[in-house]
Amino acid sequence: MNERVQRLKRAVQEAVPGLCPERALIWTRYHKDKQNRKKPRPIQMAEALSLVLAEKTIRIWPDELIVGNYTRRRVGGGIFPELHGLVQMSDLFSFPSRKENPLALSRADMARLAAIAPFWATRFLGARVHKSPRKNLAFLARQLSGTEFVINETGGISHIAPDYEKLLTLGALGIGEDAAQRRKAVRPGSDEAVFYEAVETAMAGLAAFGHRYADLARKMAVAEPDPARARELAAIAETCEQVPARPARNFAEALQSVFFAQIAVNIESLDNSVCPGRVDQYLFPYLKRDLDAGTLGPDQARELVFAWSVKFAEIVPVFPALITRIHGGLFNGQVVCVGGTDGNGADAVNELSMMLLNAMDELRMRQPNYTARVHAGSPPEYLDKIHAILAAGANSPALYNDGAIVPVLVKNGYSPEHARDYTPVGCVEPVSQGRSFSSTDAALMNVPLCLELALNRGRRFGSRLRIGARTPDPGAMLSMKDVKRAFTDQLGFGLEKLLDDLAAVERANARLHPTPLTSALLAGCLESGTDSTAGGAQYNFSGIQCVAPSSVGDSLCAIERAVFRDQRLSLPELAAQCAANFPDEDLRAYLLSLPKFGNDDPEADAWTDWVMEAFSDLLEGRKNTRGGKYTMGVYSVTVHEFWGRVTGADPSGRRQGEPLAAGLAPGNGMDRCGPTALLNSVNRLDVSRATNGLNFNVKFDAATLRGRTGPLALSALLSTYFSRGGMQAQVNVLDPKVLKEARDNPAAHPHLLVRVSGYSAYFNDLTPALKDELIRRTSLCAGRGGA
Amino acid sequence: MSHGQSEPRGLIFDIQRFCLHDGPGIRTTVFFKGCALACAWCQNPESISPKPQIAWYAERCTGCLTCAGACPKGAILTPPGQRVDFSLCDGCGACAAVCPREALVSVGRRVTASQLLDELMKDVDFYRSSGGGVTLSGGEPLLQAGFLADFLPQAREAGLHLALETSGACRARDLTTLAPMFDLLYFDMKFMDPAGHRKWTGRDNRGILAAFTRLARSHPGLVARMPVVPGIQDTDENLERTANFLKKCGKQEIHLLPYHPLGEAKIPRLAPGLAPLELDGDPAQSLEKVRKALESLGLSPLVYEPL
Ligand code: SF4
Ligand code: SF4
Repeated sequence: MNERVQRLKRAVQEAVPGLCPERALIWTRYHKDKQNRKKPRPIQMAEALSLVLAEKTIRIWPDELIVGNYTRRRVGGGIFPELHGLVQMSDLFSFPSRKENPLALSRADMARLAAIAPFWATRFLGARVHKSPRKNLAFLARQLSGTEFVINETGGISHIAPDYEKLLTLGALGIGEDAAQRRKAVRPGSDEAVFYEAVETAMAGLAAFGHRYADLARKMAVAEPDPARARELAAIAETCEQVPARPARNFAEALQSVFFAQIAVNIESLDNSVCPGRVDQYLFPYLKRDLDAGTLGPDQARELVFAWSVKFAEIVPVFPALITRIHGGLFNGQVVCVGGTDGNGADAVNELSMMLLNAMDELRMRQPNYTARVHAGSPPEYLDKIHAILAAGANSPALYNDGAIVPVLVKNGYSPEHARDYTPVGCVEPVSQGRSFSSTDAALMNVPLCLELALNRGRRFGSRLRIGARTPDPGAMLSMKDVKRAFTDQLGFGLEKLLDDLAAVERANARLHPTPLTSALLAGCLESGTDSTAGGAQYNFSGIQCVAPSSVGDSLCAIERAVFRDQRLSLPELAAQCAANFPDEDLRAYLLSLPKFGNDDPEADAWTDWVMEAFSDLLEGRKNTRGGKYTMGVYSVTVHEFWGRVTGADPSGRRQGEPLAAGLAPGNGMDRCGPTALLNSVNRLDVSRATNGLNFNVKFDAATLRGRTGPLALSALLSTYFSRGGMQAQVNVLDPKVLKEARDNPAAHPHLLVRVSGYSAYFNDLTPALKDELIRRTSLCAGRGGA
Repeated sequence: MSHGQSEPRGLIFDIQRFCLHDGPGIRTTVFFKGCALACAWCQNPESISPKPQIAWYAERCTGCLTCAGACPKGAILTPPGQRVDFSLCDGCGACAAVCPREALVSVGRRVTASQLLDELMKDVDFYRSSGGGVTLSGGEPLLQAGFLADFLPQAREAGLHLALETSGACRARDLTTLAPMFDLLYFDMKFMDPAGHRKWTGRDNRGILAAFTRLARSHPGLVARMPVVPGIQDTDENLERTANFLKKCGKQEIHLLPYHPLGEAKIPRLAPGLAPLELDGDPAQSLEKVRKALESLGLSPLVYEPL
């Protein structure tokens, strides 16, 4: 990392994150304007986007080589009033003062934002999901409570890896031209014609956005006293004159074009997981050409890559407390993926892959979210590099195994070639780059709650109101078969409600929030003349997350043992104990001592496997409104902690208030036999059912992976896990001492990076409960010993 | 198994998976119970007695006294702050089976060779990918020669890389016949002076050193190890004698094991035996001193990762 990059990094890390009102205010002004009210939605979207890009404050910060500011602050986020903006603004007056992730916001801006709320109160997406107001109110109540399930799609979709290669080849104007040609071939006034026109407008807006920076850079160059910086500014001007409007001619232009598009797509779709994806693949030809021609030196190339990477950390999401309980930390999942194979299955690691890994390792910033693909033919130097980085405690990159993922994608309906071109988006969800509009983070399902309902005839513990299916009294359940049926009935009932709401939300997104710019960067949309929200993309899925399968698996295992095998107590007695949050401590100790997932115990592992099977079976054959399948994901971001608080105690011995299992991990603190046993358990599951990907965290205390032995052991663990079919892994190396210090004195380790379910976030960004959870887990891990 | 009755059984008190510092690669370490020595710094005091024992974790005990009803020896004490009368207890474990809080825990279980092997084979994939295997530790595994004679050929048959951690305090014949079954022998150099050795470990070391000398000639996998307890092994005299001895045996390499007080936490839970060690100095400083001294005496010391 050279000095310039160090300065850039410091500037971003030391900047106070803040809330920028520009997008919301310009968006509102556009929509309030009577002239615009009658226009078709896609045109409104494209014009509003172009207006934001034309009017928002632009800045070129000192030392920058790659430019483009997402907000008018160095680090900031925006409000999406037409989506979940009202929810975002629920903390409007406390953003600057709140403890976790405070966001700077001036009083004047607070007032301006407060003033737009009434306009959107009846117009935001959530208010218009169901036609009937009563139905819609019930829907909003479910959303706000967020206990049974959470539909993230109500806040917009995003979760895309756009076809940036196409933007680099054709330029925004070239894509606009393509749309214009296609428009001539369809009936004027048709939906297709409107879509094409919207694409033309949006692409023109994107092109003009770059030109504003060209003008600014030229002006700054003239005023710049330092001749070296003046030359750099002149070069920036030249770059921005060319891209994103026109094709990229060299590596610097390619990086710049991608970042401009990144800003625009974030502003249009939603700032949630817009992913550059397989950067090392589509940018490498530009790099190679420059290096071969000698127009760019290796050091310059590295500097550009680092400078580009830093930019992603300038974009932060604006989450109020309501959303933070589901998505903790200041992350927005902009995934960069390296390695893997080409379309034919040959290894695709190149110099740029290694350069990006170095950038990630040396910068250690919360964004972008670096991930690495591995496969049987991954080169040793690539794997060694990754293992060394992980053993040193970087907590990134997350690893994805082609051997497990590609077949799953093919089974889902991708062509083998397109499957091999996958990148993760969001937390962990694999999609084909530039072809897939998969609302991978559509919804999260509280699976342990379904067991609570099954133990209480469809009602929450302590409640008389039936919210679930009418299943029998526990006293009438005479075998595990009956218990399993009651659970699947509740799960099916809950999923039915979820899918019903989700379908309405999908339609609302298509109706109210088409995304022409994004759509033009997804294969299939221009060809079909259809927006991605309406199913125009080549591949369409929706991901439903099975949250905490092992919490339920361990509970079922405990029921079988305690009630039917040991006959220690009856099922109604056990249910009553759960409902009362285990007044009998001895009973709870007994339940905790029963087999648990994650300890290489086939009996316990089979139950978790069964829960995943039951869930995926219920999704089987269901289609979303875009014509795609529903897929099952096994990850929980941070919702396992929130749902642990609101979901009743369960037969595994978990008390209400304790977190549920995170992702595919064992229940909180339940794995006691070390990483080899844990990996054996995970490898025992049929992960091919996790068609929307899964999140599996392996945690080590720092001492274990220190020294000579650490990286070797880690590499052996991971290669074994992957060769046996493991799908994904994230390695957390945590020193409890450091974490405790960081908790007690946030200033001591302001940039401590930890993994939270698929994301990098700074430790300081986490909620107190999550901090405690992480500290507890690492301490357990470190305290292994004999008697 | 039909001939289960006659099969020799080993007495072990723990099996730890994913051990990284008991030999190369990822290993599973088996802790055998019973030892001829009783080193003052012992980190596994529960390993010393060759019989099953009971350990009582006062902090987990609720005083419910369910255990009292299960004990056939009347060995359960009722006053708060104590639970087991170790003079009456024979370690049968009946109390542990009924204790609802795992406050009473059996230390030591008997396993057949095939049961142990099944347990060890669970991590075979990881041994293969890491160049690891299985380490027998303790206690002194070689005191259970009958069981090892049954177990070791099966383990070799299964292709496991085998390491032994030994004090050398066993019958010479057992060491001679069993040593060739191991790929690696970690042999402790506890203290050089015979009188000092007796003081610290309870036994003379002349037989032990003779065994080391013999193995140095016959076993290529022999490695000397030294626990480094501040104020004990780190004297100039002991280090010089250690270096001279090893050089005479043609050995240059020595592994240094840092002292950590893990064992002391276990002492109050067990039948009275060892007394906690009054440490005289800082383990890390002592370790560094020993490393430097041995190096200047012509050995190549290797320090294990500090815990
Ligand atoms: S049964 Fe267990 S918890 Fe109860 S008194 Fe005995 S040792 Fe203590
Ligand atoms: S181990 Fe057996 S003898 Fe000893 S206290 Fe327990 S039940 Fe009594």
